[in-house]
Amino acid sequence: MRDAFANFLRLPGAGAALSLIGILAFFVIFGSVDLVQLMGAASWVNFAANLGIVAIPVGLLMIAGELDISIGAMIPAGSMTVAIVSGHYELPIIFGMIAALGLGVIVGTINGLLTIRTTVPSLIITLGTLVAMQGIVLTASKVLTGAASVAVTAPEWAKVIFGSLLGASHQVIIVWWVIIAVIFWFVVHKQRFGNWLFAMGGDRDSARNAGIPVDRMTITLFILSATAATFVGMCQAILFNSAQVSGGMGIIFNVIVSVVVGGTLLTGGFGSVIGIFIGTLTFAIVNQGIYFTQIDRNWSNLIIGATLLIAVGMNESFRSLAMSMVARPKKPA
Amino acid sequence: MKFGKILATTAALALTATGVLAESHSGADIFVIGGKPDDPFWSIVKRGAEDAALVVEAQGGSVTWLGPQNYDNLGVDAAELIRQAIDQGADGVVGPNWVPEAMDPAFQAVVDAGIPLVIYNAGGIEAADRLGALNYVGAVDYLAGVAGGEWLGNNGATNGLCVNSLPGAANIEDYCNGFAEGLENTGNSASTMPLPATAQGNVTAVAQAVRAHLLQNPEIDAVFATANLDAVGIVQGIQQAGKAGQVQVCGINFDEAILSQISAGAQSCAVDQQGYQQGFYAVSILNGHINYGLSIPTREILTGPGIVDAANIAATLSGASEGTR
Amino acid sequence: MSSDANTSHDLVGMLGKLIRRPEFSTLIGTVVVYVFFAYLGGKIFLGAPGWSAFLTMAAEVGIIALPVGLLMIAGELDISVGAVVPAAALTTALVSGHYDLPTWYGVFAGLAVGVMVGFINGQLVTRTSIPSLIITIGTMFGAMGLTLGFTVMIAGSTGVFMTPDPSAKALLGSSINFMFRATIFWWIGFAAIIYYFLHISPWGNWVFALGGDRESARNAGIPVSRVTVGLYMLSGFAAAFVGVSQVLTFGSAQVAAGQAFIFNSIMCVVIGGVLLTGGSGSVIGIVLGTLTFAIVNQGIFFSGIDPNYGSIIIGALLLIAVMSNDTFRALALSYATKKKEG
Repeated sequence: MRDAFANFLRLPGAGAALSLIGILAFFVIFGSVDLVQLMGAASWVNFAANLGIVAIPVGLLMIAGELDISIGAMIPAGSMTVAIVSGHYELPIIFGMIAALGLGVIVGTINGLLTIRTTVPSLIITLGTLVAMQGIVLTASKVLTGAASVAVTAPEWAKVIFGSLLGASHQVIIVWWVIIAVIFWFVVHKQRFGNWLFAMGGDRDSARNAGIPVDRMTITLFILSATAATFVGMCQAILFNSAQVSGGMGIIFNVIVSVVVGGTLLTGGFGSVIGIFIGTLTFAIVNQGIYFTQIDRNWSNLIIGATLLIAVGMNESFRSLAMSMVARPKKPA
Repeated sequence: MKFGKILATTAALALTATGVLAESHSGADIFVIGGKPDDPFWSIVKRGAEDAALVVEAQGGSVTWLGPQNYDNLGVDAAELIRQAIDQGADGVVGPNWVPEAMDPAFQAVVDAGIPLVIYNAGGIEAADRLGALNYVGAVDYLAGVAGGEWLGNNGATNGLCVNSLPGAANIEDYCNGFAEGLENTGNSASTMPLPATAQGNVTAVAQAVRAHLLQNPEIDAVFATANLDAVGIVQGIQQAGKAGQVQVCGINFDEAILSQISAGAQSCAVDQQGYQQGFYAVSILNGHINYGLSIPTREILTGPGIVDAANIAATLSGASEGTR
Repeated sequence: MSSDANTSHDLVGMLGKLIRRPEFSTLIGTVVVYVFFAYLGGKIFLGAPGWSAFLTMAAEVGIIALPVGLLMIAGELDISVGAVVPAAALTTALVSGHYDLPTWYGVFAGLAVGVMVGFINGQLVTRTSIPSLIITIGTMFGAMGLTLGFTVMIAGSTGVFMTPDPSAKALLGSSINFMFRATIFWWIGFAAIIYYFLHISPWGNWVFALGGDRESARNAGIPVSRVTVGLYMLSGFAAAFVGVSQVLTFGSAQVAAGQAFIFNSIMCVVIGGVLLTGGSGSVIGIVLGTLTFAIVNQGIFFSGIDPNYGSIIIGALLLIAVMSNDTFRALALSYATKKKEG
């Protein structure tokens, strides 16, 4: 049993799973939350799905030792692209979708190229692309449509696949999230790509010397994160029939918190897709669960901050605990 | 083995606890969708809703406030909150129709579920009629901007500037667009100055931006603020540009700082939407309807826009210090 | 050998040394953006209104950028500054406005809040292995929550109003000719003190050592924990100072304020040549980086460009500034002086 427990703790997602249980207990005990009602509610699952699709590639970038904060502006960029192309200019929705995803590829490529070609850290580069994209979205919206909020009505087929509700209020993007998570899990934990990823995060130069195509992987990862963000924006525009200009600052912190609570090390080289998945769920419950409690909304940020510190603290202690727990040698027969 | 037992016991305890804590009651569970918690205007609306909640709770019900964390994705977040209210078993829903394309389907779901609905703050009576809501309570953001523009136009302004420190948020955009229409109605012109994200939450940046813009565009003689702190920054910016007394200032909402500016003559007017009334009446109407089947035959209860200027400022001062105006 | 040839060699050598200093590339960036906006903004930008505009903005973000830069040199980040600015402003406003105590009590309370948050940050960073980015994000959320909760609980609204005593206002909230804010002089003074601390006093080496390799620094006898906590308390103090000076200047404090300072201060520091990985940077570089940032931000409004395009230009210029810094530094480091003739 002790070995099983030690193995459990060694998983990057362990801290996240325990934090999840902890925060649920907190809400139930101190917030008089109806657990059954909370579980049945869609709001936090929707929130988790929209966040989770972006969190996974950003988390992989972190494992590889890089950061991408431009995703904050890429989500509204994706929805605004769909809205302007298919709403304002009334081109078929497929053009809007291709344009949104294409924008993600372009910005991801820029982020990746600048990261590998210069010695400027990716945090700073993506900070620059973040500010630039905020400006581009605002300008495009105002100059092309004259407003900061653009409407778009997608045809039935697009809505069914990307922007509909299952049941009463569960968004179909939840299905996309699970599919994407499974694909990433497979690629990262069952394929060579994953080994390369962890090697890059461990020591970039050693990885390069070992023959890993570090540059190509970096660009690929940045493209994945930017495109994931525009994909989420695209689905939102299709589901909610509108897009809005925004700075996207809030999203950045949400993604970083989800990834880190999920056990990913900021310094790179450690993490897992399952961990990020659970971390996203935990953050979603923290963020949305407070609406189900009697606690005054004004304290919500305090709860988020405390949860973050406690969850990451638990991650750290488990990691050191797990590393120090050595399996007892089997007695010779 | 032990660990498994502990886990099972904890889970069982938790589930029992929720069962014990769940009570049954006879009153109305009303859910109010509003703005973010640190928004100066919306905290007043929330105050009105909380004061009405005193009655609701006395009758065995509850009022729950649902607001987004920020305005980055207003229509989407609000629509989600509306659906969440349904999921949480609302007996009645109060909500603003900020972004019709995004929020109408959610409001429709409320009505389809047989839950009485009151629209407030945005959308007007057209939204209430379209969605099948009981009533509309409030001032319309767009009209608030128009009122400000028209007051300035009728009081000597010829070229106005609307300062938008949160480009993209539907309510702020409505203020500026309405302001432009108000000025144009009186035969004058208007423009909008959006501020970059690097200026967000920085009153100094607003002051400096306004100062620079005024110096570069000397034909502007009126500035319109869309946020409380912006109004304070704008007055300073005008002072620093050396144009105190030549450029008028008006703005949306007010608080003690702004009222003291009006008393001192540095600001000419503030548009009052009486947020307190919006929250108070919307909740009260719903409560009366759910519990006793009462209704207000007058459709469209406007709480504004009113203008606070030097003429009627005295009465508003005490309310502002209490957080109700 | 003629002495003229020697002197010209020395001059080239000196010039080469100057160019090779990391601050030089930052200075070029500052000059380039200034010339760009001077061309677009004309007389008004070149005159006192232009200077006071970006100097006032530079002063506020600059006061925060200095300790944030020190922390980055020591290998840490501080995201919580964005929440400390309104927390301190509201503390001052509540104490002196809502509770009507003398202004100096409020000022002291506001500054104390900043120092306290810094202390908590420092303790958490040194006592756990959690990265400072995460810790300060956590304290940022915590401070935001506490600020909103307490302000609404005490004052009943999200903003508080106060009228500062004349003495306090003169010191922290006034302006010369309504143009040059007092904060500018505080910034210059602060920068001078930090310059002395980092480049002249022996403790400055400790900061560089921390950023280079924490373990080696500890082994060399440097009180790593105390230095780290001290630096965080300094950044908390600086953010609180800006918040307090804002509320004394404008007479009003709101909960929803300060977010921009987080990324703005990081941008100033990075443009100023401080390496994100730690161990390298200078006060002059940070000051120049702050000036560049402020010129870019304010110059837009003097230039007559449609403000809708403003954000794009700011983002693009910042990227260019950082990139050119990087290229220029690499160039300068690889430049070798010609061998002297024997």
